[in-house]
Amino acid sequence: MKMTNIYEGSYQWIMFGRDENKPDNIIDTNQYMVRTAKRSLLIDPGGVELFSPMLAAVLHYAPADQITDLFASHQDPDIISSLGLWDQALPKAKLHASDLWEGFIKHFGCESIEYVPINDNGGTINLDEVELQIIPAHYMHSSANFNIYDPQAKILMSGDVGAALEEPDSPIFVENFDLHIEKMRFFHQRWMPSNHAKKVWIDRVRELDIDILAPQHGRMFKGDDVNRFLDWFETLQVGTAV
Amino acid sequence: MCKGKTKSQFVAVASIAAELNAVMDVAKEISLAAANAKAIAFRAGEKAKGFQPITDFINELAKETIELVTDVNEHAIELYQLTVNNYRTTNVYTQLKLVENLSQDAVFISSIEQPLLKAQIKMDKCKRDFKMNITQLLDQLAEVMHPARAARVIAANSRIEASQAGEYLQSLQAVAESVDNAAQIIHDNVQRCRSALSVVEQTD
Ligand SMILES: [Fe+2]
Ligand SMILES: [Fe+2]
Repeated sequence: MKMTNIYEGSYQWIMFGRDENKPDNIIDTNQYMVRTAKRSLLIDPGGVELFSPMLAAVLHYAPADQITDLFASHQDPDIISSLGLWDQALPKAKLHASDLWEGFIKHFGCESIEYVPINDNGGTINLDEVELQIIPAHYMHSSANFNIYDPQAKILMSGDVGAALEEPDSPIFVENFDLHIEKMRFFHQRWMPSNHAKKVWIDRVRELDIDILAPQHGRMFKGDDVNRFLDWFETLQVGTAV
Repeated sequence: MCKGKTKSQFVAVASIAAELNAVMDVAKEISLAAANAKAIAFRAGEKAKGFQPITDFINELAKETIELVTDVNEHAIELYQLTVNNYRTTNVYTQLKLVENLSQDAVFISSIEQPLLKAQIKMDKCKRDFKMNITQLLDQLAEVMHPARAARVIAANSRIEASQAGEYLQSLQAVAESVDNAAQIIHDNVQRCRSALSVVEQTD
């Protein structure tokens, strides 16, 4: 599992991904961790196949009892099917996820972890002195879907928005936006269902000050590429299967 | 726990449930046959005098079998849940062991000890509960065999009594025959349950 610090201040953001031992038949995913003094949040901790490499990687940054919070942007298996294992490894943690998905996500196993339901308007997650915003991103692609925004680090973890289907060992940042477009097109056209929801999301995200847009698959966008992505996405027609 | 073993364990537990269902159906058939025989014996009057208490006895045996199987069923459902728990807790333990191996060079590797220990305690308890449940199930299945065996003896007696029933001979013989068959089927099903259970026991 590759580990990269993407923000270094009084606390850290770490990106995990490009796991070389991942079975070929499952989609590659990016996991993110926000590490503060005594707590840490895992954002979209991943599928069940990824649990052991992920926890092993996380132990480089925090002891198990300081992994206090999990966040699931939506209900997909590549996001949170590892829950049943985290549940047994971290008896005191909380899972922040949509109230709409509670009865569904709990199918992955949620005995000891506390499910903290997020209503449709979003909310906040507080880790020590850090306050993270939960930004609604409904229908992007899941019907109840959220992003995480950190106003201090200026990072938007955008879930499946901005995702790309990539080779396993691709770089973690977009280097040439124009070359990157074709890796994103199908993903967005097919998995994003609504042009209206897309517009609402773009308008909302344009209000935020973003240095890094961090999706759950593929590469992150840095600096001007963030706006390039929003411009490209704005003109793209989505929901193309019907 | 390797995946093949888990799979055969789940299959074995499912097949026990299926066998038990079949036993239940057969026991109900016996109870019906007993009611039938009672009606015939009643019509036959004096000629089937010896047959009447036998029909009551067959009915008792069928009832007893149904009760026993209902009990066994409850245990079998429990066994299914225990099999799932066994799979889950073993999986958690295996995964955490893997984490331990993968994070040899991690600063916070020692923090995995506590969860690992907890997982092991949970897994061991599950395995104990699982073994105990199997032992109980095997005992209960042995009990289900008793009425089935008794039914076979009674079926033999019934044949003798039927031979004195004149024109009712054939219908009463048919009753004896079906009780005998049913008892044989129950016996075989229970036997298959027991061997399925021993598969579960061995694969653990
Ligand atoms: Fe998804
Ligand atoms: Fe995804």
